[in-house]
Amino acid sequence: MTSIVKPSRLKRRKQQLKEMPAATGRGLDERLQLASPPARSFLNKVFPDHWSFLLGEIALWSFVVLLLTGTFLTLFFEPSMDEVTYQGSYTALQDVEMSAAYASTLNLSFDVRGGLFIRQMHHWAALLFIAAIVVHMLRIFFTGAFRKPRELNWIIGVALFWLAFLLGFTGYSLPDDALSGTGLRIGHAIMLAVPVIGTWLAYALFDGPFPGELIISRIYIVHVFILPLTVLGLITLHLIIMFKQKHTQWPGPGRTNRNVVGERFFPRYAAKQGAFFFIVFGAIALMGGLFQINPVWLFGPYKAAVVSVASQPDWYVLFLEGATRLFPAWETRFTLFGEHYTLPNAFWPAVLFPGIVAITMFAYPFIEARLRKDKGIHNLLERPRDVPKRTAFGAAALTFYVILTVSGANDVVAKVFDISLNAMTWIGRVGVILLPAVVYLATYRLCLGLQQHDREVLAHGIETGIIRRRPDGGFYEVHQPLGPTDERGRGGLEYTGWTVPKKMNRIGALAPAVRGFFVPLEKAAPSSPAPTRAALEEPGPNGERPSVEEASSDQKE
Amino acid sequence: MSAPTQRAETDLTRAGETGVDLSDPRLTRFDLVREGARRNGIEIVLYEPRFPVPGSRVERRLERVVALLFLIAGAAGLGFVIAYIWWPWEYEFGPDSLSKFYTPVLGVTLGVSLFAVALALVAWVKKLLPHEIAIEERHDGASSDDDRQLMEATLANAGQESGVSRRPLLKGALALGLAPVGLAVAAPLIGGLIRDPHRPMYDEVGVSRQFHTGFHPGLNGGRPVRLVREDGTPIRPEDVSVSGQITVFPGIPGGTTNEFADSPTLLIHLRQADADELRENLYELNQGSMLGNFVAYSKVCTHAGCPPSLYEQQTNRLLCPCHQSQFLITDNARPVFGPATRSLAMLPLDVDEEGYFVAASDYKVPVGPSFWER
Amino acid sequence: MLAGVLYTVFAPGLAAQDEPLSNDAQQGRAIYEQSCISCHGNNGQGVPGRGPSLIGVGEAAVEFQVSTGRMPLARQGAQAEPKPPVWRGEELERNVRYLSAYIDALGGGPRMPAGTDLGANGDPAVGGELYRINCSSCHGYSGGGGALSAGAFAPGLLDATDRQIWAAMLSGPQNMPVFGDNQLTPQEKADIIAFINTLSEDGDPGGVFNLGRFGPSTEGLAIFLVGIVGIVIATLWIAGKS
Repeated sequence: MTSIVKPSRLKRRKQQLKEMPAATGRGLDERLQLASPPARSFLNKVFPDHWSFLLGEIALWSFVVLLLTGTFLTLFFEPSMDEVTYQGSYTALQDVEMSAAYASTLNLSFDVRGGLFIRQMHHWAALLFIAAIVVHMLRIFFTGAFRKPRELNWIIGVALFWLAFLLGFTGYSLPDDALSGTGLRIGHAIMLAVPVIGTWLAYALFDGPFPGELIISRIYIVHVFILPLTVLGLITLHLIIMFKQKHTQWPGPGRTNRNVVGERFFPRYAAKQGAFFFIVFGAIALMGGLFQINPVWLFGPYKAAVVSVASQPDWYVLFLEGATRLFPAWETRFTLFGEHYTLPNAFWPAVLFPGIVAITMFAYPFIEARLRKDKGIHNLLERPRDVPKRTAFGAAALTFYVILTVSGANDVVAKVFDISLNAMTWIGRVGVILLPAVVYLATYRLCLGLQQHDREVLAHGIETGIIRRRPDGGFYEVHQPLGPTDERGRGGLEYTGWTVPKKMNRIGALAPAVRGFFVPLEKAAPSSPAPTRAALEEPGPNGERPSVEEASSDQKE
Repeated sequence: MSAPTQRAETDLTRAGETGVDLSDPRLTRFDLVREGARRNGIEIVLYEPRFPVPGSRVERRLERVVALLFLIAGAAGLGFVIAYIWWPWEYEFGPDSLSKFYTPVLGVTLGVSLFAVALALVAWVKKLLPHEIAIEERHDGASSDDDRQLMEATLANAGQESGVSRRPLLKGALALGLAPVGLAVAAPLIGGLIRDPHRPMYDEVGVSRQFHTGFHPGLNGGRPVRLVREDGTPIRPEDVSVSGQITVFPGIPGGTTNEFADSPTLLIHLRQADADELRENLYELNQGSMLGNFVAYSKVCTHAGCPPSLYEQQTNRLLCPCHQSQFLITDNARPVFGPATRSLAMLPLDVDEEGYFVAASDYKVPVGPSFWER
Repeated sequence: MLAGVLYTVFAPGLAAQDEPLSNDAQQGRAIYEQSCISCHGNNGQGVPGRGPSLIGVGEAAVEFQVSTGRMPLARQGAQAEPKPPVWRGEELERNVRYLSAYIDALGGGPRMPAGTDLGANGDPAVGGELYRINCSSCHGYSGGGGALSAGAFAPGLLDATDRQIWAAMLSGPQNMPVFGDNQLTPQEKADIIAFINTLSEDGDPGGVFNLGRFGPSTEGLAIFLVGIVGIVIATLWIAGKS
């Protein structure tokens, strides 16, 4: 044993601790080659910076919140239709016979600490998830981000929309309360409305006639296992493709179809993503605590003879509900080889209509590419006004969707606004045909008008609002040209597909004088501070009058 | 150590166009970052710290703001935990109990905490981190010709080497063999789920559930089934008020439960004038189904299966709340508004020896929503 | 003359008029002849196109229609709307009592029990089951009311008194079916009233805002107006606008 002076054991430990992150990194790299260029390119990937690009992330983060809160709920929920007698704390349902599923939901809401809060967060997150998908889908649609090479991502996105729809439907049907049970009953009838195989389909899913004894546990497995796994897989694919193809961007300075201008993923963009997760989570927490949602204790357990006025499914199903309410009483009956057959009324609004909508949604990128005879790759977004036909079509489709959604709640509207229920049905029937046509025409003209205005500003400059008078007495407004003008004052700028500034403050005039929200971030720069009177009159050391600079108070930072 | 502003023109970065020697000791850390990005096809064109002079008042002010936000987050988070443990949460009847605020308090504390974290992070990124603009080249379109050629060859080779195309026997055997195996895998999953809707519902009753309800005498040993309330007690005619209605179920075991979800029935005691009008309008199918001024209609809507239970005593309409179908009670419950297309089925009524209502027979048509085989 | 005697003995209306009216009923008649006669006729037999017959409607109908202000009717419409009653407080109670006595004397009908706290001995859990089978289809799970066909509607129950609810069940006003004591026993009525009282008196454990207890329709509106709008405002702050 040599007697060299060794560093003390404590010092050695501290040194090892400090070096732990680096040592771990080295160890992982030796095993996984984490320092390779692909890993670095992941950190360095450039993302363009526009607020509308964050809408899809609302959906992503709400899905994460759904997984977290959902896991908590599965620890208490019993997906069983066995009859039990309620013995929990909610007095208005004491000793009532109900399914174990409903009883466990009541248990979660009243006898588990914080259970109601988590349940409400879960339901609000579900509504937010699908609302965000719709808003994100609209953004993609109206800016043309679904064009080649992103058709696959669009298809995955549409698939995610319908899967989220199913997730929501199965989710709110799990508690087996009277409201969602009525919805299941209607779902069963819709299955029956499928031609030829309808009864077989319904009997297969429900294991016999409605409601059977297995439907809740089957829906449970679909809701907590099959669908979340599929959605998770598709979201991962969606993000990988987006990463690989890089995000689209708006046209603008320095931006071409062949590059991405923005900031690198790490650290700025990743930090913003993290912050956004907290914003979405915070919003869900606030709503989950402040706004009551799905008060199943007021509905009672599902019984086939029980129903309520103002029964609606969750908002994302309302467009189908509205279609079903508005559809006229048409049913096809015929005899074939002596047997009677029926094509039920519910087939048209609840089977064929969503089928056509889904197929159109999936196929839209290819339809538009064919109509525009466009096979090129597009990485630059289009302003909605520059594609008037698509924008008008989208606006009309959105109007159609909104009218159907509101019609799904037409009895609530009738009650709140004192309108006859039958009148609401007719208003919906007429409106759903008429209004989209009107909106199409109006939006088309609006887009053309906006395009016209863009080119007018490019040619003639920004209206400054300053009015001058000519010697002959006529008034004219001074225009600020955006670029070089010819001898007649007309500009020669081309429209590049990006925002044309139309106000003086957009080109740098009238910038806010002082930065900062509540208080100024910094005092105003001492460009020419007013000299004080005393300082001006006080003679300098040599008797001469002080200079303006010397007389000014010292404002340097 | 400050990062360079704008395009800091050092000899080394200019040399970076052609290839930077990473072992050069004059390279700054940012030069390495820039070189790493360049090798990924990314050019950092602007990298500008917010505060060229470190330690300024503004910078320190902003740091304090971010720190304060994190502290608020922590305080609110702590508030959440404290409220979670100590705020009274157990359900109490009445609007004034403190426990009614348990969920809102949890929501507000958690929400504020999370928002504060988010605000702090965003303020940090937006106001403290350097501002940067980077440009990345896309590499869109098809892979290079070389790569395509190589990939084609690799894939085609496997296909050709396997010899399927020039070994027709194998090709045939493959198809014939794999298809049944696929079926074998799918069969239990699909087959296990299949239930025959036309199979007789019980051994004693030789008819399917799709076409008959719990009022079928076969379920009651051949005797007519009594109409009972939801608590199982049978009903006499005197128990229903004039202009009143009552929901009834088949008086068999499980008749009032969801096991017989297609059986709930609305028993209505009509006023004399209305009953007379109905009698005049009765379909041939429904002749004899009324008992005095009593009529019983199926409480399962023929549109989508909800109970059409909004009985409007004066307009004599039965409104279904789900899709607003309206059925005229004085005319065989035929639909007069809304998407329903078939009348509600009428249950033939009778009284037994003890004076209780019974169903003379099952419904004469299938109840509920239409289906293909109807 | 024989015909005249027989007529006098057997004609119902005249026989009723010949019986002496109690004091309350006389006061009731005075009110009736001032406020009700134009639509309901001389002897309560009704006027076609204006008002139905009141024979046999009983105290319950009077109690309900008058104390909720529906009667006297302001104008004809799809149905009578509740409005502030013509009389207030004690005067209202008295006049309801007088009118009830008169209408009861006129043609009989269901009578009201005494007392104001008619739900006191009711079991809300049993009442809830009865409510959901019989009442929720028109009045809603949360007692908020709902739309009926062609302009009619079932009113909300949360502001109704116990007596008004009892009276409505007994008399079946307008489109509401009749729930006589043979059909829903007084105990069952008390149970239902106890349940309705839990709906109006219990708070909402799920939050500060209950969104009107309308269900998914207002919840969907809230997620867009509050959730999406709020988060989009945040995105406008976080990311750039160009």
